[in-house]
Amino acid sequence: METTKKSIFSGNLRQMGMIIALVIITLGFGIATEGTLFRPMNVSNIFMQNSFEIILAIGMFFCMLTGGNVDLSVGSIVGLAGAIMAVLTLNFHLPTSVAVIITITAGLLVGVVQGSFIAFLNVPPFIATLAGELICRGLCQLILGGQTLSPFSAGFQYFANGFVARDMKVGGINVVCLLAFVIVVFALVFSEVNKRRNRQKHGFPVQNLYITVAKLAAIIAVVTFILWNLSAYNGMPFILVVMAVLALVYSFIANKTTVGRHIYMMGGNIQAAKLSGVRTKWMMFLVYTNSALMATIAGLAVTGRLNAATPKAGTGYELDAIAACVIGGVDGASGSVMGAILGACVMAILNNGMSILGIGTDMQSVIKGCILLLAVSFDIYLKNKSKNN
Amino acid sequence: MKFSKVMAVGLSVAMVLGMTACGSSSSDTPAPSDNAAQPATEGEAAAESSGKRPVIGITLPTQELARCQKDQEYMTEYLNELGYDVDVQFAKGDAATQVNEIENMITNGVAGVIISPWDGGALTTAVQQCHDAGIPVIAYDANVLDTEYIDYFVTDDLVGIGRQQGQFIIDALDCDNSEETHTIELFGGDYGDASAKMFWSGAMEVLDPYIDNGKLEVVSGQREYEICAVAEWSATKSQERMDTLLSTYYVDKRIDAVLTQNDDLAAGAISALKSVGYGTDDQPMPVITGMDCTISALKSINAGDQSMTIYKDIRQLARHASDIMDSLVKGEEPDLSDVELTTYDNGVKEVTATKVPSLVLTKENMDELVFDSGYYTREEVELEQ
Repeated sequence: METTKKSIFSGNLRQMGMIIALVIITLGFGIATEGTLFRPMNVSNIFMQNSFEIILAIGMFFCMLTGGNVDLSVGSIVGLAGAIMAVLTLNFHLPTSVAVIITITAGLLVGVVQGSFIAFLNVPPFIATLAGELICRGLCQLILGGQTLSPFSAGFQYFANGFVARDMKVGGINVVCLLAFVIVVFALVFSEVNKRRNRQKHGFPVQNLYITVAKLAAIIAVVTFILWNLSAYNGMPFILVVMAVLALVYSFIANKTTVGRHIYMMGGNIQAAKLSGVRTKWMMFLVYTNSALMATIAGLAVTGRLNAATPKAGTGYELDAIAACVIGGVDGASGSVMGAILGACVMAILNNGMSILGIGTDMQSVIKGCILLLAVSFDIYLKNKSKNN
Repeated sequence: MKFSKVMAVGLSVAMVLGMTACGSSSSDTPAPSDNAAQPATEGEAAAESSGKRPVIGITLPTQELARCQKDQEYMTEYLNELGYDVDVQFAKGDAATQVNEIENMITNGVAGVIISPWDGGALTTAVQQCHDAGIPVIAYDANVLDTEYIDYFVTDDLVGIGRQQGQFIIDALDCDNSEETHTIELFGGDYGDASAKMFWSGAMEVLDPYIDNGKLEVVSGQREYEICAVAEWSATKSQERMDTLLSTYYVDKRIDAVLTQNDDLAAGAISALKSVGYGTDDQPMPVITGMDCTISALKSINAGDQSMTIYKDIRQLARHASDIMDSLVKGEEPDLSDVELTTYDNGVKEVTATKVPSLVLTKENMDELVFDSGYYTREEVELEQ
């Protein structure tokens, strides 16, 4: 069992750097807003205002993993999903569940079409999704007739605005939050213990025990803080549950399935991957279909939260998603779902913190752009450094 | 085993840390209903002492419309006079941003919210949250739709404005006294804008009889609101539409009047007209209407291109909004005895609305309305006088 100082830092520095940056930004805004950032209502708001950010980042992650490709149409698909949903429930009076199924099918259709052009007709993803962006935005405006359509049923709004069992409490603490806490703590500890045992078994160096414990302790502290605040406000937002499930599912796919492995290989060197037997065409197809699916889900969340479908919904979201992934350390060949989500969290805290501070949206754009640049430069610097190690 | 002991200690430390951090923050706002009762904070630098004045949150649709600057200026002045601080946010033309801003105002503990909607149909959840937090909300300049929690809507006499525009054209062309047929084209505002519909209905109320009896002719035949509405009140789109109309229908005809329902639409139409040769001595500009009294419109009117604009007394609007908000925050019924009232249907209820009369502004009364009243200074408008 060898633990060397070098292996502690060089391997983990990028991930640590990401997390440290997030902590600094959070604490920074917390101090600047004099604690408003940490109020229970605001903690809840951060998740609900930025759910689309996280969901889109997960979808964009896989696109970027195939070799730095992006999906420019996700913003328009968000708008289109809302438009379809609105017209189905308000004009055709279909029940919400039926409308949701149709909307998701439509989103998948968009993904299939784009995926086909990219994978089988070899259209560069940038171009194909740019076309998708234009077409979907136009369709969205056509379907809505240029108007905002609203309102939606309470059931639909629950997806984006609802809380799970908000009145079930035990000793003043929301039951769902308590349950989540227990599950998360056990999952984290278990996975960490497992990882250590596996590495030790195969003779790999393991992280210093104290550092592992400290890391776990810090993560658990943050999780506790979040869950406590959520419990103090209205409990667990339903959309947070959805996001957690998506994160787990896609993490699993990325790390533990053949499909995931293959996508990582494609990002490294697509020719080598092809020659190694990776079905690159199918992978591209799947990745872009999936991205459209995530965009549709995000569209349902955005529409539900606003309780209205607007013709301009989702404008610019694709760039936010790309920024979130990049800040989270995702590039053509490496990165993780968690990284993308962390990047999305950075964007979320930025959005929320700057809004509380009353910083104008024009200035917000400038700041976000600068942070994006800094994050990427830092990431590249670290990558070069660890290469030389 | 040493391993599990260290784990146990570490995890306990984590939990204690987490609890302490939570303990200090949960003492702030344990429940949403307490937010309103909380000592209000200044929007920009959230100070938490109870010695500060209550804050009114004002959310305006965009920073790019000149009138929004005036809205901010006057409401800030009047609310400050009444003893409030203000937190003004601009929603950069995006509905979701406006919802986020309102939520953050609630978190910041404002005493009241004045909403000038970018998209009146997209605010139901935000208004619901204000209601749940016990924060009074009023609509300003455009109505907030599909919610029962708006009690007052401060606005101009919307239909009256449209009527003034229509009547100006009738009078300028002297339609009542002449037998000639004059040509006219119609440009409405953003199709989704509920106020735009009001302006249109007022204008058409005046113009329709003349179009029907042949004194006014819409050569393109485009009279329906859906076709004449210009998305987002965009000057560029207005110019494009005017270009197309001119090259299709007015190649050998003269256009005598253009109903453009705000200054941006007018500006777009004027550019298009100039590029085909209008605005000279032998081909003078048609009658062109406008609204909002922007600086560029004033210059245009002074130069003889635009014929009129509508002067909305934003000071009165701001006055009404401030007074009503002040009463609502104090839990009283606003005293609207000397204000003209009407109601507008927002889809769920008839919302009580103020009707601030507006004025037609032309080159003749520009001095009196704009400069003497202090609305703008001559330097701001850069007129050579």
